[in-house]
Amino acid sequence: MFRLALENTLNLLIASGAIKLDRLEDSTIALHVPELGISLYFVCINARIHVLEAQQQNSDVDITLSKSAFVSLFKGKELKDLLANDEVVIRGNVKTAQSLSDLFTETSIDIEELVSHHTGDIIAHQLGKVAHFVKKGNNNDIVAVVETLKDDLSTLLVAPSRSRFFDRGEK
Amino acid sequence: MGKATHFGYQQVDVADKQGLVKGVFDSVAGSYDLMNDVLSFGAHRLWKRYAIGLSNVGKGDKVLDIAGGTGDLAIKFREKVGDTGQVILSDINGAMLEEGRKNLIDRGLVDVGFVQANAESLPFEDNTFDCVSIAFGLRNVTNKDAALRQMHRVLKKGGCLLVLEFSKVDNAVLEKFYDFYSFNVMPKLGRLIANDEDSYQYLAESIRKHPDQETLKQMALNAGFAFCEYHNLSGGIVALHKAVKA
Repeated sequence: MFRLALENTLNLLIASGAIKLDRLEDSTIALHVPELGISLYFVCINARIHVLEAQQQNSDVDITLSKSAFVSLFKGKELKDLLANDEVVIRGNVKTAQSLSDLFTETSIDIEELVSHHTGDIIAHQLGKVAHFVKKGNNNDIVAVVETLKDDLSTLLVAPSRSRFFDRGEK
Repeated sequence: MGKATHFGYQQVDVADKQGLVKGVFDSVAGSYDLMNDVLSFGAHRLWKRYAIGLSNVGKGDKVLDIAGGTGDLAIKFREKVGDTGQVILSDINGAMLEEGRKNLIDRGLVDVGFVQANAESLPFEDNTFDCVSIAFGLRNVTNKDAALRQMHRVLKKGGCLLVLEFSKVDNAVLEKFYDFYSFNVMPKLGRLIANDEDSYQYLAESIRKHPDQETLKQMALNAGFAFCEYHNLSGGIVALHKAVKA
């Protein structure tokens, strides 16, 4: 669920022009947060981000970070500060890692809420926030957000394991 | 007999399989949606919605739905791509395509394209689509490797392939129930509702002959996709493979 919410949020923001993907074009970035049981692969191709969960062989950068550092990234903390405090390990191009970090900051995602337990409410909340990003009053964009919400909620019904890592993360 | 392949549990000539599959879908086309609802207890709608959710499709995108049958995925994709995008519904079977055309017209969707085509030789230029989907269709394709290569060819760089298909159940208890249901209940429901027991016996058998999750993932990578992952749905009864072209 987290991955779906993140992928949909990022792509809605890219499509609306709120964020740009230029610096990450043709990059694959692996991001691991062991405390949360999260391993995500951000595949950035052709002005689109695919967020995959299964291990991919050819990532350009491999970022491993603590839960608190992960949350800090979304709050705008500089990657270099986290590196200085040994809260993050980067294998590969640091500039690319910084670009992903910048992207997270620009999304203004409330990551603390996203990694909490109340999955359904979180998605509704996050997508509600995205709706504010896209042009206000544009019915098509709102419809897209509502449709995305429906898609995400179906995950809980047919693939509940997709949301279970929230529980693992809190252990 | 020339080169052999499977048609359910039967060994048949490669040249004959397409005609045999055509016979199945000619027979069930009229009751296809109803049977899907009955046999899956409505879950096929959730599986398809999950696939749409992972499609990464947005406004203005071009989508090809292969083996699109009665058009339920195409309808959802049309909502996603909006007026500036394009959806093409393709199926090798004319009867299924006709059902899809009726369903879409009933919903006022007159701008979806219809193409009767074999997935092994898609009549589209290279790098055309942002997303290609095939839901419950790859199982029936004779040369799956060739079909996957074609899907890769027609996708744009960064585009994704979604393969929604019955797969290998990942729970022993569920598998026993599922086997009983597939071979003892499904064909009888087929006879009762669609007046066609054999087609639903084929359905149960063809599911068991389809490559499992890991095998299909490797097939997608071998076809040229740079990334591939799969999601087990309903305990692996169905798996969604998502592959990305780089």
